[in-house]
Amino acid sequence: MSSSLFAAGLGLAALLSVPAPPRVSLANDDDPLSLREHAALRESMAELAAAHPDLARLELVGTSRAGRAIEALRITAVDEPRDVPGILLVANLEGTRVFASAVALDHARRLLEGYADSESVRMLLDANVVWVVPRANPDAAEARFLEPRAEHLASGVGVDDDRDGRQGEDPPADLNGDGLVTMMRVPDPDGEWIPDPNDPRALVKADPAKGEHGTFALYPESRDRDGDERFGEDQPHDGRVDRNFPAGWQEGEAAAGLFATDDPEARALCEFVLARPNLSLVVIYDGPGNLVEDPKSVADDAKAKQRIPPAGWLESDAGYLKEIARRYRRAVGNETEGEDDDAGTFGRWCYEHRGLFVLCADLWELPFGEASKDEADGADEKAEGEDPQEEQAEPERKPSEDAKRLLWVDAHEGEAWRFVPWTPFDHPELGEVEIGGFAPFARVEPPAEEGAKIARDHFAWFTTLGSLPARAKIVECTRERVGDGLFEVRAVIENSGFLPLLSRSGRRTRTTRPARLKLLLPEAGGLVAGKRQVLIEDLSGSGGRFEYTALVRGPEGMEIAVTLDSDHAGSDMRTAEENQ
Amino acid sequence: MKLSLSCLLVLLLGTSAHFAQQTGPGSTAGFPGLPAGRAPRVEIPFNRLYPGEELYAHFDRLVAAYPDFLSMQVIGHSVENREMRVYTLNAPGTGADREKPAMWVDGNVHGNEVQGGEGVLYLAWYLLENYGTNERITDLLDSTAFYLLPTVNPDGRANWFEKAHNPHSSRSGVMPLDRDRDGLFDEDGPDDLDGDGSITQMRKYVPGEGDWRLNPDDPRVMERVPPNDRGIRGDWILLGQEGIDNDGDGRVNEDGVGGYDMNRAWPALWMPDHVQYGAGPYPLYWPEARCIARFLLDHPNVAAVQSYHNAGGMILRGPGAEAFGSYPRRDVAVYDALGKDGEKMLPFYRYMVIWKDLYSVFGGFVNWTYERLGILSFTNELWTEPRMSPDGKLDGVEDRRHWFDDNLLMGAGFVDWHPYEHPLYGEIEIGGFRKDVGRVPPTFLIEEMLHRNAAFCIRHAEAMPRVVIEEPSVTELGDELRAIDVVIRNEHLIPTRMQLAVDRHIGEPDLVLLEGEGIEVLAGGFRSSRFRPEEIQLQDFDPARLVRDAGIGSRAKLRVRWIVRGSGTASVSYVGEKVRDVVREFEL
Repeated sequence: MSSSLFAAGLGLAALLSVPAPPRVSLANDDDPLSLREHAALRESMAELAAAHPDLARLELVGTSRAGRAIEALRITAVDEPRDVPGILLVANLEGTRVFASAVALDHARRLLEGYADSESVRMLLDANVVWVVPRANPDAAEARFLEPRAEHLASGVGVDDDRDGRQGEDPPADLNGDGLVTMMRVPDPDGEWIPDPNDPRALVKADPAKGEHGTFALYPESRDRDGDERFGEDQPHDGRVDRNFPAGWQEGEAAAGLFATDDPEARALCEFVLARPNLSLVVIYDGPGNLVEDPKSVADDAKAKQRIPPAGWLESDAGYLKEIARRYRRAVGNETEGEDDDAGTFGRWCYEHRGLFVLCADLWELPFGEASKDEADGADEKAEGEDPQEEQAEPERKPSEDAKRLLWVDAHEGEAWRFVPWTPFDHPELGEVEIGGFAPFARVEPPAEEGAKIARDHFAWFTTLGSLPARAKIVECTRERVGDGLFEVRAVIENSGFLPLLSRSGRRTRTTRPARLKLLLPEAGGLVAGKRQVLIEDLSGSGGRFEYTALVRGPEGMEIAVTLDSDHAGSDMRTAEENQ
Repeated sequence: MKLSLSCLLVLLLGTSAHFAQQTGPGSTAGFPGLPAGRAPRVEIPFNRLYPGEELYAHFDRLVAAYPDFLSMQVIGHSVENREMRVYTLNAPGTGADREKPAMWVDGNVHGNEVQGGEGVLYLAWYLLENYGTNERITDLLDSTAFYLLPTVNPDGRANWFEKAHNPHSSRSGVMPLDRDRDGLFDEDGPDDLDGDGSITQMRKYVPGEGDWRLNPDDPRVMERVPPNDRGIRGDWILLGQEGIDNDGDGRVNEDGVGGYDMNRAWPALWMPDHVQYGAGPYPLYWPEARCIARFLLDHPNVAAVQSYHNAGGMILRGPGAEAFGSYPRRDVAVYDALGKDGEKMLPFYRYMVIWKDLYSVFGGFVNWTYERLGILSFTNELWTEPRMSPDGKLDGVEDRRHWFDDNLLMGAGFVDWHPYEHPLYGEIEIGGFRKDVGRVPPTFLIEEMLHRNAAFCIRHAEAMPRVVIEEPSVTELGDELRAIDVVIRNEHLIPTRMQLAVDRHIGEPDLVLLEGEGIEVLAGGFRSSRFRPEEIQLQDFDPARLVRDAGIGSRAKLRVRWIVRGSGTASVSYVGEKVRDVVREFEL
C-alpha cells in the first residue's frame, strides 16, 4: 500500500470535513434515552434490578460470539411468575438499532418506577411477567460506540465474499479521517449510477431502457486492499444475528450464517424462549415491522407445496394481529414498517415455528420530506395533474427515496449531520473520488425530541399489552343429581384474554400446550361417562368458552372438583356446586 | 490444505512407513480376506453386537496395538453424558491428517440401528490389519486419513441394549419430550408386560369379531382377513405393542422415551417438527449432532462421508426432499459410478435417491454434508432380509422369518404367543419376534455385512481426489518472454471441488501458484483449448496466484499457462481444501 498517499488523504479530509455531533448523547448520563455502551447498559440494568428487588431481577440469556453477556430484566409483581402469562420484549437484534435498546431499557425503567403510581403498569405487572432484553446483539451494537463510526449489521461468521481464497481482506474503512465510514463515488463510464436529477446528492441506478447511461461507480468508503480492482467487497463478518433463526432461513446466503442458530446470540434467544413455556407474547423493537401494514397471510389450511407449508401468518391469527396493529397505530401514530424481508428473523421463528403471537415495531426510519408545492405539481403527482399532456411532455424521474430523505434533512434544522456532503478525496488506487452520503445511523436514529416521544408513546402502548394474553378460568362448575348416586358434572372454561388460548400456528406446530382439564373424584367415586382428562386447544380469544360434562357416581356427599392447568394462561380449580 | 514440507518429502521418497506385521507362527502377514494361514494382530469377534462400552473397548485395543495410527478424541457428550468419540486413523510419517483428504464414517444415529457401530469398528480394524502388507490399503492410508465415529447416538444404543425393545424402538435419543402435549414427559411408552426383556405384540381372541386370523399351517403367523361382503370375519384383533395406558389418558404407548430423530436435525433444507417429524426446535438442537457438525465444519479436508444405518439394503444419496431440486449432473455422474459399484459389492443392496426411491427426509445428515459442505456422501442401510435365503426359496416375509428362525436360529428369535391378563384389554396373548430379529443380521451373517460395507467405504475413500502436476513445458516467445505450460491432473473419481460446492460457493476455491525468485509473472490463466495455447482465460490481477474455484473435475486435466520474464528455479503448486497439496519444481 502506498502509505504516503494514504496519509495525505487523511490529512486533507480532516481539514475538509467536520463531523456533526450525533443527535443522541452517548454517555451513560441522566438522559434515560442515551445510548449506552455494553458495559454501561449492563450497569444500568443492574442498577434497576437493585433498586427494585421486589419487582425485577436479572437473568442471563446467553453470551455473544465475542463473549459479551446478553441479559434480560425480568419484571413482575407476581410471586410465581411461572403461573402467569409472559411477555418478552427483545430489542436491538439488528446491530444498528441501538436506539431500540435505549427505548427498551426506558420501558423497563418506567415499568419499575411506575408500578407504585400507575394503574396501567400495575395491571400489567400484577397479572403478567415481562422480560426485557434491551440488547440482543451486543457485538454488532458495539460498533455504534467505536471510532470511526460504521454501521455493522454482521457479527457472525465471515465468508470469502469475493471468492479469491481470502476472507475479510478488503473491508470498508474511514479513508478521509472524518470519523465516519460512508460511501465513495467515482466518475466511471462503466458505472451503474447517475445523480438523481431531483437532487444530485442522491444517486440512482441508470436505466438504459430510458436512454440513461451510468456515469458513476459507487462503493463503500474503502481501499482496494487485495488488489482486485474491487473496493470494500470482503468484510470480516457476514453473518447477521437476525438472519440466523431457523424459520425461512436462507440457506447459502452469507448474512444467514453457516447454519440456523450458529450465532450464539440466536441460539441463546431460542433457548430462552424454549425454557419459558408461559411465554404468550413477543414484542420486537425494531426490525421488519408487522404493525403498520397488514401482514402477509395465508389460509389456515393452505396446502403445502412439495411438503413445505407456505410462509406467512395464518388467517385466523392475522385477524387478531390486525386488531392489535390498529390499536398500535392509534397509540403511537407510527407509519414506518422497515424491511419486508423477515426470512431467518427471530420474530418469524417465534410465530411460524413456536406459535407465539409476535408484534414487531419498526421504531423510526429517516422520513421522506415533502417536495414544495410547485415541484410536486410539476413532477410526480399524476392524480393532481390538471393537464396530462403537459405532464407527458416533460417526463422526469420521480425523486428517489434518498432524494426524498434529503428533502427531510434539508427541511429540519440541526439535522444536516445526517448527510455527509460529497467531498473530493485523492484515493490511492482510484485517484480523484468523492466521499460522502448518509452518515452511519442517520437513517435509524431519530432526533432527540422525536425519540423521546417514540419512547413515551410506545411505553403507553406496551402497558396495554397485559390484557392480550389468553387467561383460562373455570367460570362454572356444577353437579346435578340425575339418579341414585349418579351425578352430572358440568364445567365451563372461559378465556378472558384477547388472544386465543393457542394461536392457529401453535396448534399447527404443536409447540404450545393445550390446557389440561381434569376431573377429581374421591376414591369412592367413579366415572360413568366422559373423560377424566381433556386437552383443550380450541379456545378463541375475547371470551371463548369450552364446556365439559361427565356422568359420575358415588356417595351423595362426595366432593367433586375440576382442575385446569395450562402453561401460559394460568391455572384454576373449582369444586362442583350443587345445581338446584 | 496447508502445504507442509514433511509430507512432500514422504511423497517424494515413497512410502517408507511400511512396517513388519507381527503375526502368529506359520502365518502370513495381513488379513485381507483370505482365510488360510493368517492371524490378525487384534482378534475381534465380528459375530456379535456390542454395547457402547464394549465397542469403545475394542477401539481402545486397536489404539493400544496401533498407537501411531489411531488416536481418540472426545468431541462432545451425549444427553446422558456419554463420550462422543472420534478415532482418527492416519498412517505415521505420511503427513498430518488435516493435510490429506479424509473420509468420515459414522453409524448408529438411530439408537436401534446398532450394527453401524460394528461397521465403523470393522473398517478401522481392517485398514489397520492390512497396512504395510496390502498394496491398496497401504496406498490408501498413505494418501488419506479417516475420521471414525462409532456411535452418533450412544444413549439410544445403550437404551436398546439395556432395556426391553422391539426392532424399531430406541431410534430416538433420550432427551425427554412431551410428545402428547399433556405436560408430562415420556410417561407412557411401551411396557415389557411379561418381563421377558422384549417388547413384542399383543393380540386378543374375539371370535367372529376380529379382522385377523391365524395361518392354518402356522398359528404363530397372523393374516389379515380380506374385506368381504360374505360375512367372513376373523377371530383375532391386534392391539399393538406390549403396553398399558400408564398415564390414564385413554391412549396406550403414546409418549415413550425421547421421540425425536437426530437424522432430521441437520441444517440442510431443515424443516420444523410439524413438517418433518423429529426435527427438534432448531437445527442441531441435540448435543450429539451439534458436536459432529462443529467437527466437520472444522475439517474442510473431509472429502467423503459414509453414515451407516439399518436396514433394507440401500446405498442412499440425496436429495432428501423434492423441494431441493436435483443435484448437478456432474456430481450425479460421480455418485452413480460409486453407487453402481456398491450394488455389485453389496448383493441385494440398491443404489437409491432418498426422496424419490425411499421417502422424504428434511434435514438429513448426508444431505447436509453434501449440500452444505460439498462432500460426496452416502448412507448405507446395512442388512437386508433376502440374505436369509439368497436363492429365494422362501417366500413371504413372515414365512421366511419363521422358517429361518426355526431352522437356523433354533427358534431363539421368536417369543411364542402366551396368555396375559391386561388391565384394559382383559385376556390377551403376547408374542412376536425379538428386537434383534429383522433389522440386524444373525451372528453368522454379521461379518459378511461388515466386510462388504467396509470394502465399499474403501472404494469410496480411494475415489477422493488426488492431484498430480506433470512436467511443465517452457516455450520461448522472444524478448525474454516465456510461456510455461503445466498440466495438472486429478487422477481420481471425485472432483477436487464438487460442482455443487462451486455453484453454491461452499468452501474455499483451489489455488494454482507459480513461484520463483528470478521470474516475473506477467500473465496467467487457464487454457480452454488443447491446441490453441493462446486461448487463455486470463486472470485480471495477481497472475502468479490463480484462483480455481471450479477445482479439477473427475479424472480431469487442468491446463495452465503463464507468461513470464526471467529464469531460474521455479515451482508450481496446487492447493485445495480436499486434496493433498502438491508442488513441482522445474528449471526455467
